[in-house]
Amino acid sequence: VSKILGLALGILAAIGGFVDIGDLVFNVSAGATFGYELMWVVVIGVVGIIVYSEMCGRVAAVSGKAVFDAIRERVGFKAALGALVASEVVNLMTLAAEIGGVAISLQLLSGLPYRWLIVLAIVGLAVIVWVTSFEWLERIFGYGGLCLLVFAVAAVKLTPDWGKVGNGFLPHLAQNNKLLYAYFAVGLLGAALTPYEVYFYSSGGIENRWSPKDIRLNRANAIIGYGLGGFLSFALMITGGALFLGHGISPEHLGTIALGAENPLGRIGLLFALVGILFAVGGASIDTVFSGAYNLAQFCGWEWGRYRHPRGAPRFALTWLVLLALALAIVMTGVDPVMLTEYAVIFSVVALPLTYIPILLVANDKTYMRHYGNGRFANILGLFYLLVIMIVALAAVPLMLLTNVGQN
Amino acid sequence: LSSEIDIGLQVLDRQLLDKNGRRCGNVDDLAIEGGVGEVPEVVAILVGPGYWPQRSGLIGKLAGWIGGGRRVRIDWSEVDKIGAAVELKGEATELGLGRGDDRLRPYLDKIPGAGR
Repeated sequence: VSKILGLALGILAAIGGFVDIGDLVFNVSAGATFGYELMWVVVIGVVGIIVYSEMCGRVAAVSGKAVFDAIRERVGFKAALGALVASEVVNLMTLAAEIGGVAISLQLLSGLPYRWLIVLAIVGLAVIVWVTSFEWLERIFGYGGLCLLVFAVAAVKLTPDWGKVGNGFLPHLAQNNKLLYAYFAVGLLGAALTPYEVYFYSSGGIENRWSPKDIRLNRANAIIGYGLGGFLSFALMITGGALFLGHGISPEHLGTIALGAENPLGRIGLLFALVGILFAVGGASIDTVFSGAYNLAQFCGWEWGRYRHPRGAPRFALTWLVLLALALAIVMTGVDPVMLTEYAVIFSVVALPLTYIPILLVANDKTYMRHYGNGRFANILGLFYLLVIMIVALAAVPLMLLTNVGQN
Repeated sequence: LSSEIDIGLQVLDRQLLDKNGRRCGNVDDLAIEGGVGEVPEVVAILVGPGYWPQRSGLIGKLAGWIGGGRRVRIDWSEVDKIGAAVELKGEATELGLGRGDDRLRPYLDKIPGAGR
């Protein structure tokens, strides 16, 4: 049992990173627009995030160094400050979107007014984070999000053409609508490799007091956690493809996504889908609000970590409280959470290189990684994914403009 | 201390820990002394947002101003060990480090559950 509980960090980081409000919509939309043709992109993204999470978790276990610590050390003050500003803006946008998602799922479950539920969501999250230990936050939101597995059942029940699904795993280009296809590919890669996943994952390893003897636990967390996240992405895309492709429906609301489970499974399917979405976007709120606080504290050298309790890390605690308050102000303006997260994903890819290059450098530093440094296999994959990240970072904004944020 | 270290890579911009392992700032800059013809020597670690403007242009000035502009000078003889972090011989409070956390703590303590 303790071994299964030990996987909670990977599961929360992956569910919060892979099936947050943006990915829920993005995956189902990709299915609704291109069927199963983009499955291979998800595979590339999943392997990439496993490679880099394993690396930064190993660095955390061996040296006690979290990602933003490494960023400042390796790229220097000026570039790190730039990365800090970019990551804080993106984290806050994403946090606001996730809070909106929590309020929408509460609304679909209860029928109460949206704006009340935003306040309830923020106050609820603040109280839960204030009183709950890191271990229990991981467990509640990580395992609660597993209700989303209902989409795997739904995908099977919808009897997709499995031959076509299989073909989707082979890398290929689209026959027509090439720009939109490229936009979806970049968005899926950007969402899979969102920087806040590694900020949260590496700091979470330190929250869990990992030491060099937890290297295998780290590897299991990265592979099983993100593997599961990828599996859920496939399920959502297949559901979107089997249900919406060719019907001219483009799901832009969380409620439409939940219908993907209701259609084949009835009310019980709908209930599982809504509860799963609630925990997944709640977990993503935790990922992003903590990432924002971790990054600022690590840049400044402040004491940080939920394991220190608020009185052991006061400025860290104040930071996440302020971030929640700012997110409240943003969602209360009535901005569409789904639109906010699409912009956040696209802009976050610009911060990608400054996040991933330092991880690769630090994981190769023998002075404190000793014999735990990267092997040749990890370095080859790491360099390959740096190339992928560079391409994605360069292509993201032009594609967003050319496709009118995927609307054409 | 090891016989040879790269101060640009192994000291500058690293986490500071006090003797109890408390995180108490980052090496924001270094004070180096030595005239023409002399061997330059690192004499102190400089900590605090007050040193940020000299590290970067306008954005550093702005960040330093938001951060309150505090400056703390830690004599190089206070350095105990240089590893993944720079470890100091004394306690943070005695060295004037971690003051922001110490000042904020009494307010957070008024909210129930702050110690758990």
